[in-house]
Amino acid sequence: MYDVIVIGAGPAGATAALETSYGGLKTLLIDEQLEAGGQVWRARSKSIINAPKNNYSIAGDDLRSRVGAGLVNILFGVRVWQIEKANDHWTLGIQGCEEKQVKAKKLVIATGAQERVIPVPGWTLPGVFGLAGATALFKEHMIIPGRRTIVAGNGPLLFYVASEVLRLGGQVSAVVSLNSRKDWLGVLPGMLRNPSLIIQGLSWMFSLYKNRVPIYWQHAVKSIAGKSSVEGANICAVDKNWSLISQGEQYIKGESVCYGQGLMPAIEATRLAGADHHFDEKLGGWVPTLDKYGRTSVSGLYACGDNAGILGADAAPHRGGLTANAIFEDTGMSNRVDINQKAYDASIKFGLAATKLSIPRAGYESFISAETEVCRCEGISRAEIDYEIKNGSLSPDAIKSGTRCGMGPCGGRFCNESVSILTEYLTGKNRKEIGITSARPPLRPVCMDSVSNELNYNDLPIPGVSPL
Amino acid sequence: MIVRTEEILFEFDGETYNGFAGESIAAALLRVGVTHLRDAPNSQTPRGMFCVMGVCQECVVEINQRRVEACRTKVSNGLKIKRASNV
Amino acid sequence: MTCTFDIAVIGGGIMGCGAALQLAGGGMNTVILEQGDIGGGASGVNAGTLSMQIKRVKLMPYAIKGHAEWESMGSSVGFKKTGGYTLAFNDREAELLNERMNMKREAGANITFIEPSKLENIEPHLTKKIVAASYCPDDGFANSSLTGQYYRNRIEEAGIHFFERYKVTGIRSTSEGYEINSGGETISARRILLACGGWMKTIAAMLGADLPIRARVNTVSVTERAPKFINSVIGHATGLLTMKQKDNGTLLIGGGWQGKGKPEDGRGNVSIDSLIPNLQLAQFVVPELSKIRIIRSWTGFESNVPDFYPLAGKLPNNDNVFILGCVRGGYTIGPYISKLMGDYILDKELELPLFDPSRKMEEGKLI
Repeated sequence: MYDVIVIGAGPAGATAALETSYGGLKTLLIDEQLEAGGQVWRARSKSIINAPKNNYSIAGDDLRSRVGAGLVNILFGVRVWQIEKANDHWTLGIQGCEEKQVKAKKLVIATGAQERVIPVPGWTLPGVFGLAGATALFKEHMIIPGRRTIVAGNGPLLFYVASEVLRLGGQVSAVVSLNSRKDWLGVLPGMLRNPSLIIQGLSWMFSLYKNRVPIYWQHAVKSIAGKSSVEGANICAVDKNWSLISQGEQYIKGESVCYGQGLMPAIEATRLAGADHHFDEKLGGWVPTLDKYGRTSVSGLYACGDNAGILGADAAPHRGGLTANAIFEDTGMSNRVDINQKAYDASIKFGLAATKLSIPRAGYESFISAETEVCRCEGISRAEIDYEIKNGSLSPDAIKSGTRCGMGPCGGRFCNESVSILTEYLTGKNRKEIGITSARPPLRPVCMDSVSNELNYNDLPIPGVSPL
Repeated sequence: MIVRTEEILFEFDGETYNGFAGESIAAALLRVGVTHLRDAPNSQTPRGMFCVMGVCQECVVEINQRRVEACRTKVSNGLKIKRASNV
Repeated sequence: MTCTFDIAVIGGGIMGCGAALQLAGGGMNTVILEQGDIGGGASGVNAGTLSMQIKRVKLMPYAIKGHAEWESMGSSVGFKKTGGYTLAFNDREAELLNERMNMKREAGANITFIEPSKLENIEPHLTKKIVAASYCPDDGFANSSLTGQYYRNRIEEAGIHFFERYKVTGIRSTSEGYEINSGGETISARRILLACGGWMKTIAAMLGADLPIRARVNTVSVTERAPKFINSVIGHATGLLTMKQKDNGTLLIGGGWQGKGKPEDGRGNVSIDSLIPNLQLAQFVVPELSKIRIIRSWTGFESNVPDFYPLAGKLPNNDNVFILGCVRGGYTIGPYISKLMGDYILDKELELPLFDPSRKMEEGKLI
């Protein structure tokens, strides 16, 4: 039995785990990646022996060296598939290592973010990557997504992805930004709270300028073209609500499209653990309901990092520290991690400003043509979902039942958002009224023999269940 | 500038490719221009790596009849991988 | 809502919707009140097994009629008659299988026994460790996910009023009948039919009745698409496994393994301690499943009373409140027994008798 288990070894989770370990609590840090760092500080693959360092790799390496120092117990390359609460402890079903279950008195969930990607015709073609997905290619593998890349969507990630493609030797056909220049001016005051990131942003912009990369402000990808992989994209202007304006379409050639509309908290673990959640668009969507230390509505359950609301990597270590403090307090310990409140406040302001660029707008609905596959796993089109909603299915669970949308291997991670957008459009209900699908294990698909040992038939427990 | 490990050989759908020991199957295939990793079950449309972090299940390939995420599974010398269908 | 309905059906599952359709057909102005989505409770999350071999002897006539109802609903509910095999793996189970299946056959089910060696040709992916097996050609399954869509269409066509997300918070008796509250909203009806599955005890308590209802928390899991492993519905002599493979290749694994949670706290939860043996047993029966991934597990509440027979009749000491539930095998039997219930409320002659909730209930024997 551990005192604390932390799921997710990004900057928030790893900080929380390190601090509780320093404080003397027996702590286990679990991550599905092979090394700490999360997405933003993702480690390079073992196939790279040497390469130039950058800000992310330096911050990540520093975190990894602290995690690797041996005080905190780690299970990396391990997935949590089930979370259960007993009276006074948590049991996690895990997969990818010898142990099948681990237990702890306190559980911290730091599962980070997942990408919001609004379906458009052609978005299932090979060569289309999530924007955040593309950053994983750069950071882990230092490769480019294709010879020529079209970078489209919103938020600051657009410009980071475009500049990284250039730095790694690729070409950028265009940057297609839903945000207008005015949107950016609007968030600049908040962004200025982090001057170093502003300087970084300017360097991204400079590299685009130097390479004569066209930037289309207030534009969207209308469709992605190609037979067996991406060949190009049609783009057009959008109005203030981000509805497509069909006049003046342009075709841009490219072999890959990096495409995404911001980040959402990855809440499947906190939901499975039974915590209350609410909808807050400023924080990226549905978030666990927390106090300022990261205590959830369930005793012994904590959340920190982007899964507790999208504030970015700079805020994450502070949030991890606060959660460690909550655990110290709740276990009757006097240890406290020093939180640099000024730096934390600045990182929150910056994070909220960056997230604001990606707050969904009503026009998303216009991206999704009737034939577009909304559920990539099951191949369910918008037309089928619209029909189901018009036929009276109003909740995400009912739509899922009636159409199979979200019943595939990814568990609705990508289509749930689209289904809510379509429900909002067709019914006029808001996201809170619409709600979310029921949380169900496993958190990721798990091979049957990886979660259970072979059955010794005589050991099969036979509860009395079947009256004649 | 970027120094990588020794090259290894692996097989994808009967073709042999070079990869670097320690990188993911999906990254190794992307480097050699193979992006089509799977056929979707209903539409039979081609699919490839999408989220790159083990969530979307689009890059699933088959190794020894098991479905694995190509973005999270490492290539190794002699590894035989099949394009997945009906997943 | 000023209008007074002839009857309010609390619970929009198979039981409630089926009865409402019969009642509306008989001329009653009917309203359905559902706390979640139509068909979103046990009716929509069970494993969908339509098997004579797992039905209780005394309920067999109802199961045969129920099966015919499902067959007539056809593809709109994903009905498939595949035949089914029930397997035994040791002498004790073989004896149990022999004894029980013979009784079920006498009760009218078309059940035979088959040599395990013959099964090898029919279901080649099953384990070779089978000791005894029974077969019923009528067995099959439907897709419980489609229950909601199906019944929503039916009740809309029939012009039945229904309110979803109407969680009943109080019931008041008036001179006209009843006022049924949900938060600030009120609906009036002359009669009430309780058909709310796992939530029956809570709602009946609002009417002053203390029913000996308990809820089981049954677990179901589904795999990713797999190569064709099985053609028919596979069961286990103890009832601890049901398994079927859909046309799309996914396998549905059930067997009544118990999760955690209570209806009054919302949906139940999967329990690792019961899910694991459930999955182990499935792999034991179809060894190739071990390489296949589970993509979702969930639970549904199945209510029962000590004698494990249905509650179908008048609420004790109350002429205008009816109750329908706790039907073991309720998914199979529901479409039929709900019609009977409608007929009973309409004062029509009944094709088969119902199950008086006021009866004395002895604790049923479990194996």
